[in-house]
Amino acid sequence: MKGLLLKDWYMMQKYCRYYFFVCIAFTVLSIMSKGNMFFIFYPCLLCGMIPVNLLGYDERSRWTQYAGALPYTKAQLVSVKYLIGLFTQIAALTVIGIVQGIKMTVAGGFILNEFLLLMMLLLLTASISSSISLPFIFRYGVEKGRSACYVMIGTVCAGCIIATAVFKENLHNEIPLNGILPVIFLAAIGIYALSWYLSIRFAQKREVPV
Amino acid sequence: MNALEIRNLNKSFADFRLDNLNLLLPSGCIMGLIGENGAGKSTTIRLILDMIRKDSGTVTVLGKDNGEQIEQIKEEVGVVTDEIGIPECLTARQVGRVMKHSYRNWDEAEYARLLQKLSVPDNKPFRNLSRGMKTKLGIAVAMSHGAKLLLLDEPTNGLDPVVRDEVVEMFRDFTRDETHSIFISSHIVSDLEKLCDYVAFLHRGKLLLCEETDVLLSEYGIVHCTSEQVSALGEAAVRYKKESPYGVEVIVSRKSVPAGFKISPISIEELFVFMVKEAK
Repeated sequence: MKGLLLKDWYMMQKYCRYYFFVCIAFTVLSIMSKGNMFFIFYPCLLCGMIPVNLLGYDERSRWTQYAGALPYTKAQLVSVKYLIGLFTQIAALTVIGIVQGIKMTVAGGFILNEFLLLMMLLLLTASISSSISLPFIFRYGVEKGRSACYVMIGTVCAGCIIATAVFKENLHNEIPLNGILPVIFLAAIGIYALSWYLSIRFAQKREVPV
Repeated sequence: MNALEIRNLNKSFADFRLDNLNLLLPSGCIMGLIGENGAGKSTTIRLILDMIRKDSGTVTVLGKDNGEQIEQIKEEVGVVTDEIGIPECLTARQVGRVMKHSYRNWDEAEYARLLQKLSVPDNKPFRNLSRGMKTKLGIAVAMSHGAKLLLLDEPTNGLDPVVRDEVVEMFRDFTRDETHSIFISSHIVSDLEKLCDYVAFLHRGKLLLCEETDVLLSEYGIVHCTSEQVSALGEAAVRYKKESPYGVEVIVSRKSVPAGFKISPISIEELFVFMVKEAK
């Protein structure tokens, strides 16, 4: 599987550079904005799209067919995309977490629960962003999978706007969320794991297109 | 041991059916699968690699069942397809690194040697390579991990005659080792005629024949004669005939031709074209 990861790493360097710059730009904007969560959540969404984007390039170059002749199982071919998603999302979460932590501290209002809630919601967003589209792509191919991805982005963006409106008043208060945080964490992990499992099943059933 | 055994292989699609295919490729030999576009050549190769599920039948590659040991089989099989599916941004050097971590028996030195021999630049992105270079890179990958069987799906398609000749020569070199075999599909029959020990004709998913190339060439011939002379050839000798205002071209079974007729040698291409027309 190391070969597949290396191949995707090379492709990311070539095709996903602009994601990196957009993520940096949005992170900077999130420092300057006051309470607008869109700038914080969007980099996570974007990172969730990286595996989808890579699959698009795979299909266009006919790698999908070529990989069928390499000594990899379909489970490995699927798993590499989830691992790429995982690595990029962890990187994005780490950067955003550090930036937001510093921002809160500098503003003099670092509240651990508030920070953890933000991180858990980001984790959930990151998890959902690729979890919805990938099984569709492995079942139907990139084109139809992309449509599902756009529906997902619309849904999550709407969710962000609603979340911003709901939490705007509460962000400066300490929220007793000790019981909710693990639930969000487990939900994020569970959704990703379920999506991973479904994608493997779909890929195993799907015949490699000509 | 046989390099490849296909027995009673069936696969149906909405508009195509591969019908009860039986093929046997002994180790150390080259078999050419000849067929028109859409005859089922690529489907056969995809079935061998278990990229699509067979409806029935068995495929044994290098003594291993392809349904149970496909990962081990793929370690020992090199594949070159009509369109090499290497990502467009990767250079040959990067492809080498990817393959090094993909194949257990990847031979870095052999890969470098083949790239040099084939004059494939190792720092140009795949998309910037010419069609011939792309195929050569695919061949270098297929031959650098100790493969015992090469599965080649239209590998010479779109190549100029000089590159085609180079490629055919490489395949011939590969089978100098008697544990090495090649299963090659193409509709460029002249390449296969130069290369193959066995040829199989596939037409609309059905196997028309599978025979040693030399046997076919010695068994069949062409007689050019007049319409009146055809009856003198006898029914047993005439396999197919094509009439034109200038005379009749008859494919004959050499052993049944009465004495006195001049029999010209037949090419595999002529034989294939005649057989396909007959099947229609």
